[in-house]
Amino acid sequence: MDIVIRAAVAYLFILFLMRVVGRRELSSMEPSDLILLVVIGDLVQNGVTQSDYSVTGIVLAAGTIGMLATLTAWLTYKWSRIRNVVEGEPVILVEDGRLIERNLKNERLTPDELMEQARLQQGVESLDDVKWAVLETSGAISIVKKE
Amino acid sequence: MVGRAWWINVRRILLALLTVVLLLGLLNVFGQRPHSSTSSTPRASLKVYAPLHARSGLAYAARFHITAHDDIKDAFLVLDPGWAEGYTVNGLAPQPLTEASRNGRLAYGFGHIPAGQSLIFFMSLQVNPTNIGRRSQNVELDDGETPILTIHRNVTIFP
Repeated sequence: MDIVIRAAVAYLFILFLMRVVGRRELSSMEPSDLILLVVIGDLVQNGVTQSDYSVTGIVLAAGTIGMLATLTAWLTYKWSRIRNVVEGEPVILVEDGRLIERNLKNERLTPDELMEQARLQQGVESLDDVKWAVLETSGAISIVKKE
Repeated sequence: MVGRAWWINVRRILLALLTVVLLLGLLNVFGQRPHSSTSSTPRASLKVYAPLHARSGLAYAARFHITAHDDIKDAFLVLDPGWAEGYTVNGLAPQPLTEASRNGRLAYGFGHIPAGQSLIFFMSLQVNPTNIGRRSQNVELDDGETPILTIHRNVTIFP
């Protein structure tokens, strides 16, 4: 029974950790983000399966994670409040060509990184051409150009 | 679209089956929570605390608690081979005074246990990945060659 509980605790902790570190890390892969994700995988495996080499252990641990992922998806689909807690809300970074500095600071994003995304996605040259820039819950930045 | 509806129902059934497996896991069907087996006679009582279900790779300590109600002059714990077959025995504590084979079973001798006193013996085990199936793990408490009591138990090792 312990392995099911350990897998559930690991899932909830990683969900919490991903919310705490911020969504920037979800989409971009700076060296520090890569270290975080690789190390988490290894550490979690040790904690969940410990010395268990069995196929039964794999089924129980992976099954628990899969079940909780399905449950989370269902809960976030059913209740928007839970969705806001688990996934967060989109954050507006640019409104009508104007940077919202506080939101950029909160998400640890620089104007240069934002402009890089604007150029890559929409080929915009200046911030004045951006109507909306939104940091989505997935960590991706979506850019809407002015007409 | 018809095929898609069919698949959604299959997926729900499979998800329900997975939920059942996980619930069985929570109910300790696949190990490794320890289980207490006890036996008592006017001369002594014995309590064995060890899992009845385990999975390959898991390490645990089996605890044998002997309480002498009467003097046991030459206490022996006689264990079925299932206690060692397919296991790595990491350690015994306290170290028995004698270790021998008694008709194919493991016999650990602890000497004299005065009336009213206890002896607690730990056996640290790790399940080998090749050790799959069900094995007898009976435990007998003897005074010399005379059996005092026996605990009948089996262990099931999941793949």
